[in-house]
Amino acid sequence: MRARREILAAAFTCIHAAAASAADVTAEPPLDLAVTVYRAPARSGGSIDLDALRGFALVSETRVVRLPAGVSRLRFEGVADGIEAQSVIITGLPPGILEKNRDAKVLSPSSLLAATVDKPVELERTDRKTGQTERVAGMILSDADGGVVFKTAEGIEALRCSGLPETFRFEPGDGPAARPSLSVLVRTPTATTSQVTLSYLSRGFDWAADYSATLSADGRSMALGAWVTLANSNGTAFPSANTQVVAGRVNRETDSVEPLDFGGPILANCWPRGSTSDIPPQLLRFAYAAKATRGMVAAPSAMMGEALQEVMVSAQRNVAEEQLGDLKLYRVPERTTVSSRQSKQVRLLDRSAIPITTVYRASLSADEIRPTFAADRVLRSVNTQANHLGVPLPSGRVAVFAWHDGQRLLLRESNVRDLAVKEELELDMGSAPDVQVAVVHEALQIDSTQAKLLPLLPGVTLRRVRREQMERIQISNARAASIQIELSVDLNDGAEVIRADHPLGSKNGRPVFKLTIPAQRTLILRYQLQYQTLSKSR
Amino acid sequence: MRQLLICVGLSLSLPGVAAPAERSIALTIYNGDLALVQDRRDIDLKEGRQRLEFADVSAQIRPETVTLTAPDVSIVEQNFDFDLLTPAKLMEKAVGQEVTIVRINPATGAQEREQAQVLAANGGVVLRIGQRIEVLRDDGLPVRVIFDKVPDNLRARPTLSVTVVGAHAGTRRATLSYLTPGLSWKADYVALFDEGSGKIDVQGWITLTNSSGTTYENAQTLLVAGSPNEDADAGPYSPYRQVRARPTVPNPGTESGSRERLGDFYLYPLAERTTIANLQTKQVSFMDVHGVPAEHGYEFQNQWLATSDTALSASTVYSFSSSAHGGLGDQLPAGILRFYMRDKRGDPQFIGESRIDHTPMGSTLSLATGDAFDVKVKPIVSKRTRNSTFSWQTDMRYELSNALPRDVVVRVRQSGLWGDTHITAESQKSVRRSADTAEWAVTVPANGTASLTASFESRY
Repeated sequence: MRARREILAAAFTCIHAAAASAADVTAEPPLDLAVTVYRAPARSGGSIDLDALRGFALVSETRVVRLPAGVSRLRFEGVADGIEAQSVIITGLPPGILEKNRDAKVLSPSSLLAATVDKPVELERTDRKTGQTERVAGMILSDADGGVVFKTAEGIEALRCSGLPETFRFEPGDGPAARPSLSVLVRTPTATTSQVTLSYLSRGFDWAADYSATLSADGRSMALGAWVTLANSNGTAFPSANTQVVAGRVNRETDSVEPLDFGGPILANCWPRGSTSDIPPQLLRFAYAAKATRGMVAAPSAMMGEALQEVMVSAQRNVAEEQLGDLKLYRVPERTTVSSRQSKQVRLLDRSAIPITTVYRASLSADEIRPTFAADRVLRSVNTQANHLGVPLPSGRVAVFAWHDGQRLLLRESNVRDLAVKEELELDMGSAPDVQVAVVHEALQIDSTQAKLLPLLPGVTLRRVRREQMERIQISNARAASIQIELSVDLNDGAEVIRADHPLGSKNGRPVFKLTIPAQRTLILRYQLQYQTLSKSR
Repeated sequence: MRQLLICVGLSLSLPGVAAPAERSIALTIYNGDLALVQDRRDIDLKEGRQRLEFADVSAQIRPETVTLTAPDVSIVEQNFDFDLLTPAKLMEKAVGQEVTIVRINPATGAQEREQAQVLAANGGVVLRIGQRIEVLRDDGLPVRVIFDKVPDNLRARPTLSVTVVGAHAGTRRATLSYLTPGLSWKADYVALFDEGSGKIDVQGWITLTNSSGTTYENAQTLLVAGSPNEDADAGPYSPYRQVRARPTVPNPGTESGSRERLGDFYLYPLAERTTIANLQTKQVSFMDVHGVPAEHGYEFQNQWLATSDTALSASTVYSFSSSAHGGLGDQLPAGILRFYMRDKRGDPQFIGESRIDHTPMGSTLSLATGDAFDVKVKPIVSKRTRNSTFSWQTDMRYELSNALPRDVVVRVRQSGLWGDTHITAESQKSVRRSADTAEWAVTVPANGTASLTASFESRY
């Protein structure tokens, strides 16, 4: 298991000499594509934001490369714009990869100008009146700080400071490539044709599950359907790709992003153009506007901010789930095209007759003085096969619908977190104004000789008490049916519910009263809190 | 490999001496955005005092770190000119001097040429033409301004110039060395985990980035795993407890290995010379190891008194060794390790990544890659009781669930014990990993649940 360090052939050839003679080879377009989309790592529920896709994808491309003998610079074109260069993996090449390079310098007016500094160039001046063009041979001396200084046979001048239409004519081949390029320097002893796999992580993707739950007429069961919604905000499309999505949170380290150059305009800043008039000339305003945009770097997300153009809904064939380590992988059944700036939906699941219970919920705080408030309603089920579920449910957004007069109407939109099999599924339905909870602090006693009004709860030891508090809770139900309500009590450290006129349970470490309120009735609950001090027994 | 190459440098402009330079660049790149550039070239010198200009140095050069050494040459002074040639500077430097102005008649295109003296360039250009004073282009009509020459100190790029005295004329080898930010490197690892055999294959890549504004042609490159800057890695001292990130190296190694060292830094020389272009990210392989045993486990860390109404995912953790015996067999420079695993079709899929620090050989690494979908823990503070004025009892319950079809072991860690907290009762034996943290290895059966309870007595 000794490390086989890939000591690169330390032959007495210098890369430079090799690189100078390196044959430029372009890999053929992908034969086969696979895209695996991962969710935004920071999002634990809810749907994707098409204007800022914060997830990512693993893209794998199978390409044919034909390498001549010797050193070649192998270029891969048409990779995703959001490629993370550090993550590039190339397999299938003959051994002898010298280096992988990613050049972020791209062609733009300013980079073209920068590449032409100190080189001969033609200045073109057009007469506004006659349209006649004068061409002068010259040389660009400087493009520093957005101003351009050039030299002709006449002397030194500055671009566009004269008020004349002036521009440069560049030679073909000046400046860098149009898009960031990915290349590999590889040395092969003989000419080879091989099939290589290029895989990399790319930003500008995201996915989420979009559930829709439809309640039955009696409210005792629901049908649950879900889409996988995935989107690509890259400028690159992935035609006929094997497409997967992965559920579960994966670690991403915040990393310094590779250098990027978005390019810029030729600004042609001039000398001060003040005049004796206090109305700024039109031209000057343009110059200021140009200055304001200088140095502004468009974030990739802003570039991706353009609204996605299409939403594709593919035919209803469900995705296939498989285990991937501790994550869940969902495979889109057929090859599909993950287009540029497109969101796509594939069916995740369709289940019906899932039994649900409706529970109202309120939490009571001993200290807080809170007037009457509405209870929250939640729908509960358990993710088991007996309940016609029993499948992992990836996080996303859920829309709950109910039938009314033959129409399916929206009741509530809420979020779902990643739910494993056998976990409790809880759909938050928002607050229910028909069920109101009123909290009254009835009495607060510091003296323990009073306030022994209610029966002592079983298992409670009396301690020396400094403070006791009596609470009265009124729960009113304006619905035509009886309801179940769970009232949980938030206690301060050392506090305890010692007396109550209704049975007390416990959930997640908190005391809970589970009560049934008959239709159109008000129920009154009383309980007494005790703040412990020293126990008598100790 | 040390042979020097005849590669033509970019441009070494010697006023009066036009000699093509034989050039060889050596780069030493550190982790913390710093590089030492040693630029050796043949320069042709006259006898006596002269100025050498070096235009093709790093655009972010730290001029105070420049040294030029050459035989039989004494340095008079070193200057770094960062006054850039722009139209505004050109006009500013022309104040008091004559320029040619060319007026263009917008109707006819006729040109009228005049000599003018620049009087001021403050917020606008004031000219004296003959006996008249005029504001340049006050009327908005086109006027070209033609200057005779570029002032001495203005350049398109910041330029280093050194005034030297040569003892005798002739060509000699000079070394220009300086520090510059803008060059940096880190390691990137690709780990493919095979669940069946419990082994990983790891490839290590050196990733270096150049955003210094300059291209280094055909450079002999040495990477130093470390940063010589004093303030690069020292965190602030705090007497208060902080929530620490989970340790990625539970057992630091003690093996030495055969890598070259410089002080306490490991060195990674690139085997061949390479050209590092501006705005380029370059990757070179330095490690390729197959079949290292790795362990897949689960961890859950709970903060003191943290309670949750919903079950929280445990972390997926992979551990392996960097030892020469049963491990990667190498020191690991700091970087990011990306884990992959094959799906049912055999295609590698990404399953998460973790940052690692500079790690000596022989260490045990334990890296969290993400959350386990199916393994969850619900921590619950079930009771808090006051035993006496300064003593509290806290009863904790941890409900574990496992939706995987196999048994798993979750390391449940309760932190925040600070040292004065005792465990008075527990449903299974704990290990006190530190004064602050207790750990239980809880087995959760396949498709089942498990429960862990513990009572803590703490004082405050």
